[in-house]
Order: sequence, then structure tokens, then C-alpha cells
Amino acid sequence: MINSVRNTVLAIINKNNYGYISPADFNLFAKQAQLDIFDEYFYNYNRQVNEENARVSGTGYADIKKGYEEVIDTFSVTAQLTQDATNVYTMPTDYYLINKILCSSGGTFKGEAERVSQSKITLLNGSLLTAPSTNFPAYTQQASKVTVFPDTFNGANDIEAQYIRYPLDPKWTFSTIAGGAPVFDQSQADYQDFELPADDSNNLVDKILQYAGISVREGDIYKFASVEEEKENKQE
Amino acid sequence: MAYIDQKKYYTNDAVTPTNANWGSYQYVSLKDIISNFLLMYQGNHHLVNNVNRYKILFHAKRAIQELNYDAFKIIKSLQLTIYDDLKFVLPPDFVNWVKLSLFKNNVIRDLIENVQVQSATSFLQTASASFTYDADDNATTEESALDTARKNGSLKSVYLRNEGEADNNSGSFDFDGDDIYNSRIGARYGLNTETANFNPTFTIDRKAGVINFDSTMANQSCILQYISDGMENGNDDAVSVNKLFEEYVYAAIKYALLNNKFGVQEYIVNRARKDKSSLLRNAKIRLSNIHPSRLLMNLRGENKWIK
Repeated sequence: MINSVRNTVLAIINKNNYGYISPADFNLFAKQAQLDIFDEYFYNYNRQVNEENARVSGTGYADIKKGYEEVIDTFSVTAQLTQDATNVYTMPTDYYLINKILCSSGGTFKGEAERVSQSKITLLNGSLLTAPSTNFPAYTQQASKVTVFPDTFNGANDIEAQYIRYPLDPKWTFSTIAGGAPVFDQSQADYQDFELPADDSNNLVDKILQYAGISVREGDIYKFASVEEEKENKQE
Repeated sequence: MAYIDQKKYYTNDAVTPTNANWGSYQYVSLKDIISNFLLMYQGNHHLVNNVNRYKILFHAKRAIQELNYDAFKIIKSLQLTIYDDLKFVLPPDFVNWVKLSLFKNNVIRDLIENVQVQSATSFLQTASASFTYDADDNATTEESALDTARKNGSLKSVYLRNEGEADNNSGSFDFDGDDIYNSRIGARYGLNTETANFNPTFTIDRKAGVINFDSTMANQSCILQYISDGMENGNDDAVSVNKLFEEYVYAAIKYALLNNKFGVQEYIVNRARKDKSSLLRNAKIRLSNIHPSRLLMNLRGENKWIK
């Protein structure tokens, strides 16, 4: 998908070689555009939930929320966390948001830990009825580290996380230059296509055009891309 | 939790305790209740949304506690021997007592609570009536005269002139050189019903966490029947609720959450409250075990001719 997106972007912007964007610049804009759209998925998902609650959403093929869920779930990862201290574990560097923290003891699954804010955890630990227990564990987060309660969860393999990772940085690669232009080569080791569904190629083109338009100080391109994006959003 | 097969039910697959699953089908575990509530009553399209699990856990446990106080009627029993201190330390999960019995010569005798004070704290006093203090500036305590009298059996009743009591089995009208009919002279008439029986009496000192007995209870075996709050000493694994009450627990959680949430319409809160109340009533009716066949037996019994 990345090559077709790039070709479309260049076709729109590169009038008389005025708006040529180098592969390095394209990769930067592509990364930014992908992150923007990835982020929007969560807001769109929330909007769909609200629409369902307001009974203005359908089922079957009209179930837009399901589509968003499917896309977000393609970024879902379940991984064992590395132990940092007794009951402190480190999240992987690529995590975007934590969905679940699963606690085991001696290889047996015990329960899903609940996220508790730092402001509540001291009170919760002191509570007679609701203190975190093996069946109902809790965790707090500090930077990329999670602290799991009760601290009986302290084995190297005790904690597993199901999280949504960031999409990988897209990279349009080439190996040769023909006629002054680089030739696309997806066999390069660092090649990375967009991870968003093909359905998003229009959005990606619009976003990249906006960044490229600003880059080449071409207001028309920026305006065109913005209007296009708005049209897409309205349609959704 | 998955259903278990019959072998596991009866034998626990030979894992000790082998009787762990007996009767378990009657109950739903706390863990299942929380999971079911999160799945079925909480979420994007439900009245309850974005609630921390610990809040649900709190209200679930409170609902189970209330059931135990009010409707559950599962009574625990504990048998202990009372020694010279004449105290029965209340069990750790004690909330209220149901019955206290003396177990003597293989006979269970019900004991009656003595509402008169049976135990007191006493501060050590000097001859000038002032108190003495310990290193932490707290008044020094000693065993009260009341406690001493109770323990050594010299505590007397206000209704009887104990020093003039005659031995009814003496077979003589003479008591200490006097006619036994004179023994009642000067006594207060009437009967203190709670102490008017052969058995020992007791008083519950809830603050001290003990049951105090009179001196006749020394070295006797005592059975305490009590109700707990169902929290199983904080062991969440062991907390469960009878299936007859399951729906009530969900309703109670829902009501508590909606009632404490800002901006929930009053009619929704009221609906939840009515749900909760009616389900509690249902649960109590279910627990009363009124079956048509039993009712029929009683009705038939009414017309029985006694020959």
C-alpha cells in the first residue's frame, strides 16, 4: 500500500517537479500520518459507542463499531512482562495503551488486575473489604512500569499484559535510481508497509499531502487535502 | 467456573479435602458474581458504566454481609471449654449470637443471658481515692470486685437473701439454729427470671470480645451458635452466596452504584431500589421453604381426628 500512497501523493503534489518529496521526507510524513489516523480510531470508536447508546447505529454491515474494533485489535499484543523488582514489571517499549494485566501464580492464572490510580491505591491497600487479593489483584502505573498488588505476585513469569501497540513506522525503500528517481524495492530489510487497512489509503494520502503541502509552502495542497479529509470524516 | 463432573463432585478427584465440592452447587462464588456483573450489568450499553471493579467488589461484599445479617440464617457453631477465667472468647468472624448452650453429661442445656452487669473494669485507687498511672499516663487497672465475686461464686442475687438460704434437702426445719421459714425474712420478693434456673448465666461483653459466665460454668463445655457476615475471614476464595440470592446481589450492587452516581435520574435510582427490595423479599420467601406439599400436610393435620 505504501507505494501506491506515495505515487498518489507525488502525482498530486509533484507538478513540474516543483513539489518533489524525497523518500526520507515521505517516510517522516507517512509515520506522522499513520499515527494521526491510528489515534483517531480510538476517538471514532468512542463516538460509535455513543451513537449506539443513542440508538443511531445499526447492526450487521451497519455495525461500524465492530469495524473499528477489528482494526484496533490488529494492534493487540499479549506478552509476558519483564520483572524489574519484587512486584514491579516493565511494559514493552511499543505499547500504546494497556488493556489487561493478567496475573498468574505458579503457572496458574489467578485473575485480571485492575488499574487503580496512584491517589487511591494506598486507601485501597488499607481497605478491609476491597484490598487487592489473589482473586482481585490491582496495579498502578509509573512511567512504563506497573506495580502489581498484592505483592504475592512476584514471580518472573507471573505477569502478562494484553496491550495495544503503536503501529510500526512505515518505510518506503528503494535500492536503485532510474531517471533521477528512486525505484521502489520492497525486498529491502527495513521495508515496512502501512499497518492500517487499505481502506485508510485515502486518509493517508490526505494527511501526507497536508504535511507535504506545508513542507513545500504550497497552501493549495494543504487546503485541498484538508477539504478532502473533512469530506471523508463527514462520510464516516 | 465450569460445571464439574460427578466424580469430582463426590471425590474431588482424590485431592484432600475430598469433600470440598459437596453441596457446592448451591452456591455462587464471589468471583463469579463479580465477573457476571461486569459482563452483564456493566458496560457501554448499560446503566452502570465506567465503574472501578473494586467498587463493585465492595458493594457485592456489603450485599452479602447484609444477607448474612438479615436473611441468610446460616448459623455457625463453636464448642469450647470454659476455664477458670470464665470467659469464652468470641470467634474471629462473630457478628451476633443466636444461642449459647451448656454441654454437660451429653445433654445440651440452653443458657439464658443475664442482663445484669457481670464484669467491669476497675482503676487502681489509692487510699485518698486518686488513681495511679502507668508509664504511658494511663490509669492502672485491676480486676474489679464484681469480676472477683463472679469468679469465686460469691456474687449474690438482689432478689434472694443468700446468707439465709436453707438447704431444701436437709430434711429439717432447722437452719443455723433458726427456723428455715425465717430465712426469707428481709429478702426482696420477686423473681429475676433470667437467673431463675439451675444453669449458669452469661453476659456478652462485645467490646472486650468475650462472653462472661458465672462461676458455675468453670470447666464446663459451651456451644456458641452465632451468625457471621459471610466474609470468611477475608478469604475471597471462600466467600459465596446461595443461588437463591444471586439476583438480589446483582440488584443490590446496581442500586448502590446508581444511587451514588452523580446525574442519574431519580426514576432510574427508584427502579433499582425497588428491584433490590423485591428481590430481597423474594429471597426471604424462597428461604422460608414453604412447599405446597408441606403446607398440604399441615392442612391435612388440622382435620385429623384425635381418638
